[in-house]
Amino acid sequence: MSMLLEVSGVSVSFDGFRAINNLSINFAEPELRAIIGPNGAGKTTFMDIVTGKTKPDEGTVIWGERNISLLGMSESDIAMEGIGRKFQKPTVFEDQTVRQNLAMALKNPRGPFAVLMHKKTAKNGVRIEEIAEEIGLLGSLTRIAGELSHGQKQWLEIGMLLAQEPRLLLVDEPAAGMTVEEREKTTDILKRAAETRAVVVVEHDMEFVRRLNCKVTVLHEGSVLAEGNLDHVTSNPRVIEVYLGRSHA
Amino acid sequence: MNKTFIAQNPSVLWFLAFLGIFTVAVTLLSEVTGVDVISTSFVKTLGKTLCLCLIAIAMDVVWGYCGILSLGHFAFFGIGGYAIGMWLMYARTEGIVLDSLAGQALPATPQEISDAIGNQIFGVVGSAEFPMIWSFADSLFLQLLMVVLIPGLLALVFGWLAFRSRVTGVYLSILTQAMTLALSLYLFQNDSGLRGNNGLSGLQNIPGFEATPQATISIVFFIASAVALGAGYVFFAWIVSGKMGSVIKGIRDNEARVRFLGYHVESYKLFVFTITAVISGIAGALYYPQAGIINPGEIAPIASIYLAVWVAIGGRGRLYGAVIGAAFVSLASSWFTGGGAPDINLGFYVIQWTDWWLVLLGVTFVAVTLFFPKGIGGLFDYLVRKPE
Repeated sequence: MSMLLEVSGVSVSFDGFRAINNLSINFAEPELRAIIGPNGAGKTTFMDIVTGKTKPDEGTVIWGERNISLLGMSESDIAMEGIGRKFQKPTVFEDQTVRQNLAMALKNPRGPFAVLMHKKTAKNGVRIEEIAEEIGLLGSLTRIAGELSHGQKQWLEIGMLLAQEPRLLLVDEPAAGMTVEEREKTTDILKRAAETRAVVVVEHDMEFVRRLNCKVTVLHEGSVLAEGNLDHVTSNPRVIEVYLGRSHA
Repeated sequence: MNKTFIAQNPSVLWFLAFLGIFTVAVTLLSEVTGVDVISTSFVKTLGKTLCLCLIAIAMDVVWGYCGILSLGHFAFFGIGGYAIGMWLMYARTEGIVLDSLAGQALPATPQEISDAIGNQIFGVVGSAEFPMIWSFADSLFLQLLMVVLIPGLLALVFGWLAFRSRVTGVYLSILTQAMTLALSLYLFQNDSGLRGNNGLSGLQNIPGFEATPQATISIVFFIASAVALGAGYVFFAWIVSGKMGSVIKGIRDNEARVRFLGYHVESYKLFVFTITAVISGIAGALYYPQAGIINPGEIAPIASIYLAVWVAIGGRGRLYGAVIGAAFVSLASSWFTGGGAPDINLGFYVIQWTDWWLVLLGVTFVAVTLFFPKGIGGLFDYLVRKPE
């Protein structure tokens, strides 16, 4: 295991509110990690910083073997470096077919002229089918994404991330609004993805995190409160106080 | 590419077939063949309408497909018109000046000729000097180059500044409108070098073809406009199909998602904005020789707003929708405002369409937006059965 992403001493404030406070967190490759924390703990802001949407006030974000700083890079450049992001709400292109959604995400040249001259190849076709099979949408390739069920859209978005072939996958609340069966399948997809890459799952749902059966980082007020396996962190008195205590109240 | 591209887009073939039949029919019924069912002035109206259809599909690509509500594309149209108008005016005036000087005992010097042409063109704004922007007006080739280069460069610089700062939505619309307004106000000035509010006129007289009747010239321009529309349609259909189409529709529907997929959204917007501006310039260059005159009023922001209205009524996000919208609304507009529509006498009030046409257009626009968001083009969805 080598270090893939090192976030250290990162802080960011919005209108005086400190969303992230001296946060340091590292991810290895491969790895499956869950990030939990109450609302406002800074989970989404953390993702925004790593993916280039938000610029931190201080701190460093270092990526890969070549120790590149991600700060100052555009969202699209960071994505091309190998960081994929899944939004909380399923965001797929509802007007287009499942195949078109996946084709757009496939790892191919991204410039306008390369895309304009793009030709369908057998290799890409095979890759799309592999991914569709992985996310259980092989039979739905020609369907319009907008017609899919909520769970299927979530899977399609995960499939689009896989098609990007990222080294780090940031997944925001994948299980929200899913049935028990759908959750199980989602867990399987994420676990398999984490065999070859780093997968970071932000989640509210403790049951889902337990099923992932991985290292857990608890965020609170923009910094790491505790880290370890789920039983370890849930027995931490401070975690119980700020997170579990509050959510059970 | 061609076979699969056409196979995937049967509407392109339908459109080309319809356009071809229409062009042949109008040509056969015009004065040129002696049938004279369609008057020369109506041929010009139809030719101009085809040019408006061409800019409408450009607008549809930038707005309907890429989600950028530009209220400035008529500026590019106007620039195309001015660029070709400069050559038309210069070359024709040169011919007149040379004729009138031919009888002199001493041959006129090049300076005298140039002064005489300048006097003819700019006398109306109290000047005789050629402004710098007329440096290439004697060259048809260079002015044709400007028809594409100037709208292209303006769109490239403007778009680069706007998209790079992530100006989107209504703010971008306001910015494009400000650009149009600024250009229009600048051109209204007498010292802008383009004859202020007089604009450029006499553009229907093509230098070198003084002896050719307008009936023939109008048909040539009509056919050229049809060819340009057909070529533009195929070109844009190609752009919005395939993966490029996927990406730009993705930008329209969810810009952030496209960005996080690794696409540099700004480059795509800039590409679409610029390429549509260039096509708009070409449409303008074909339109104004048929209109005969161009003045800064043509570039006023309202023209670009009409363009958006045509596309909305015709149906956004489908190229033939834009064509239907532009053709239908602009022809209806000239019918209603040109006195073609009979007044309606309500007894206590007479509805005169010259006054009420804008109200009718406004009501239609609101009704279409509320009840038929897909526009007139959306009706085709009922005709074509969806593949199961």
